[in-house]
Amino acid sequence: MLVYLILIAGLLLGLPIAFAILAAMGWFMATGEAPYHIRIVATEMFSGLGSYALLAIPLFILAGELMNESGITRRIIAFANVLVGGLRAGLAHVNIWASVIFAGLSGSAVADTSALGRVFIPEMEKHGYDRSFAAALTAASSVIGPIIPPSIPVIIYALIVSGVSVPALFLAGIIPGLMLAVFLSAYVALTVKVEHITPDPDLSGPSPREALLGGILPLLMPVFVVGSILLGVVTPTEAASFAVAYALVLGMVVYRKITLASLPRIFGDAMRDSAVILVIIAAVAAANWVLTYNRVPNMLTDWVLGAVDSQTMFLIAVILLFLFVGLFLEGIAAMLVLVPILHPIAVSLGVDPVHFGIIVIFNLMIGLITPPLGLCLFVAEGIAKVGMARLTRAILPFFLVEVLVLVILTFVPQIVTFLPRLLGF
Amino acid sequence: ASAQQTIRFAHVDPADWQSSKKGAAAEIFRAIVEGETDLTVEIFPAGALGNEDDLVAQAQDGITQVVMVSGAMSRACAAASVLDIPYSFPSAPVAWEVLDGPFGEALAEHCLEQTGLRTLAYGETGFRNFTNSVREIRTPADMAGLRFRVQPIPLYVEMVEALGGEPTPIAWTELPNALATGVVDGQENPVGVIYNNGLHQLQQYMILDGHVYAADFLVINEDFFQSLTPAEQEVVSRAAIIAGNMGRSIQQWSTAQGVNAVQAEGMQVYSPTSEELAMFRDAAQPAVREWLAGELGDEAVWIERLEAAVASASE
Amino acid sequence: MARIDRIAQAVLAAAAATMMALVFLIIFVNSVRRYTTGESIPWGEEAPVYLAIYGVMFGTGLAYLQDRHIRFTVLTDLVTERLRGRLFAAMDLATAATGAMLLWSGIAFAARRPDRTASGLIGSARDLAEATGLPALEWLGRMGTWQAAIAVGGAILVVAALIRFALRLREV
Ligand code: NA
Ligand code: NA
Repeated sequence: MLVYLILIAGLLLGLPIAFAILAAMGWFMATGEAPYHIRIVATEMFSGLGSYALLAIPLFILAGELMNESGITRRIIAFANVLVGGLRAGLAHVNIWASVIFAGLSGSAVADTSALGRVFIPEMEKHGYDRSFAAALTAASSVIGPIIPPSIPVIIYALIVSGVSVPALFLAGIIPGLMLAVFLSAYVALTVKVEHITPDPDLSGPSPREALLGGILPLLMPVFVVGSILLGVVTPTEAASFAVAYALVLGMVVYRKITLASLPRIFGDAMRDSAVILVIIAAVAAANWVLTYNRVPNMLTDWVLGAVDSQTMFLIAVILLFLFVGLFLEGIAAMLVLVPILHPIAVSLGVDPVHFGIIVIFNLMIGLITPPLGLCLFVAEGIAKVGMARLTRAILPFFLVEVLVLVILTFVPQIVTFLPRLLGF
Repeated sequence: ASAQQTIRFAHVDPADWQSSKKGAAAEIFRAIVEGETDLTVEIFPAGALGNEDDLVAQAQDGITQVVMVSGAMSRACAAASVLDIPYSFPSAPVAWEVLDGPFGEALAEHCLEQTGLRTLAYGETGFRNFTNSVREIRTPADMAGLRFRVQPIPLYVEMVEALGGEPTPIAWTELPNALATGVVDGQENPVGVIYNNGLHQLQQYMILDGHVYAADFLVINEDFFQSLTPAEQEVVSRAAIIAGNMGRSIQQWSTAQGVNAVQAEGMQVYSPTSEELAMFRDAAQPAVREWLAGELGDEAVWIERLEAAVASASE
Repeated sequence: MARIDRIAQAVLAAAAATMMALVFLIIFVNSVRRYTTGESIPWGEEAPVYLAIYGVMFGTGLAYLQDRHIRFTVLTDLVTERLRGRLFAAMDLATAATGAMLLWSGIAFAARRPDRTASGLIGSARDLAEATGLPALEWLGRMGTWQAAIAVGGAILVVAALIRFALRLREV
């Protein structure tokens, strides 16, 4: 009982999540009835982190930091601005479509929020948007990042579920990611009353032609990185290292924005930012061991299968479960806990494994923008400083839009499975 | 023992019993033990509690009671690694006879002293075979110059070198890519692994040389075992032997199925003659034996013990 | 204390950056070599994984000194700044205690058969030990060296949390 107290009190009083979990696990191992052993905490953390495929995470985060430093982010924004900046509430559309382009370069929504948020939140406010709306839109549209390949959650999903390939999931995410952008854009077009806003000249660059040309080199990267993964030439981890090399060449040689002297700082920041995520993964691995040992997954499975007998019922239950879990658990952590339990049930009920993977990932990525624990929300709040209460109110309509897209994806599986089928996965 | 006692049985293979050797072994162990005693058996398949090394450590600490592992046993009890000497066993029935006979008993006793884990029974992971995409292999001479992916384990590097191939250690997850792009020409695995992972689609030729026989060890924490009543001990021991045999049967079944299936899908499979096998043995064994003797030090006596046991079983 | 904080941050940042750079270089060079010359380094898979675990431990300490770890702030946002400062100071102590537990657990983990070999690393580690005449380098091929990462991370966390605590006491 004290274990739950430590966990919940720790979480509520502001102990970092990873340490709240570890503190509870340590207490459990040290004081629990034999045969627990304190060694298990370190053992499971070590095995939780000890995977080659997981290295794609720090590498993609490093690639993201390098792209920020090299001015690629601004080029992306300028590129998107030429495409959709002229619409009514143009800057809001640019925010969304810059995320789509950014998604092709980055595998993480948090990286998207922090890179684009720093530019868009102040800029949108300058143009008359509510600051909390700008922060909410930035966080909401950054969810596109891990849906469109490359994607860190996809890599981890394929790691958990053997027999579902990264290329198939990457292909499957493309249409849902674009669909999410279209829906967010439609919502903005229907509701935002701000009249035709031309972005700052600062953002749009000297001329549309130059902006488009300037976007070409950065845009070649996803074509090259994702393409090589889809062709099966490289593994996602190797591709992530190529993404780093490409961003290094662009930043140091082509754009000359990154100096040799700044590399230690960039590399250190990337490792630090990765550690913030990976230490949670390690802590969850330890917690997972305890849950498994006490057969919690089996009990959950029995309970679900006892209560649910059709595919539709199951998928609805999964959506509700993941939306609920997404409130409290970091997406990757939630996946590590729940996917091993739910995937076999999904398969036994005849759900396509790739379809199910995208549903789960989309679902958990929505969790990134839901309080009390939404990483993108935290990052957006860190930039916007409008207070979580205001930001929460502002994010609600976007949350509903994203749930609507999720429901459509869930019940029209062809949207997800079309591309992978077409290319023979 | 109390009526509430629970046996936690952990392994790293899939849970289903029709195609998974350890899955099948665990299921029948549970069925027998729960049917005939008041003990409860909880199965933790698919590495749910950790990799094989973790499982061995947990069983040693009594966190789990029964585990079924293959490679990890020789890391906990070095003498068990003599089973990996290539071309030691001419056939699976010979391996069964050796492991179920005095040699297996002596090894179990030795490993009990070393680890505190009692080997209740042996199952099998199966014979490993070479595949490649360049040419049919009938003798070691055909292997010359071919690049084979091996596990990053020194014994396998020694073996492939001794056979004239070029060993390339590559992680399992990278293997399909490495085969598809021609980074390596071939690989080696049990047939079931080759078929279930679609490696036969990337490779043209297989030789059923069975270079390494991998055994499964079904072990129980000794303190826990001693805490059981004699009647419970009898049931648990018997259930384990049946479980080991069930694992072997399922393994044999999936291998036989796999050999047919890969041929149906276009792979050329070659069964070497006993003369050809002798050529493989003569090429590979001396180097590996010498290397292993150096690694084992005092425990190198187990090499001769195994050879003697195989010789008497083959008669 | 501010000076200690600066030094600790500089050391951890340098260590984290070194691990990140090694992970990138090994993976990149190994992949390029594999696709060009068809050769790969035997430790090209295992070494980056273990180096990254050390990197995560350094990065965790650094992120703590910079208050970057993810925490629930919904409740803590409701209280006064003064109270929040005190609450976070208490959480620094709780983190230090968690770090101590991790150190304990990590030592128990690393001390269990530390000489077990890391199969992909041991060959090259032995060659290196022989070539340099430094037998200690053989430990690069033994699991204990890498498993010690968790204990090291626990120790770093204790220090980082105590530095943060001392600094926060002045802020509130
Ligand atoms: Na992406
Ligand atoms: Na955005």
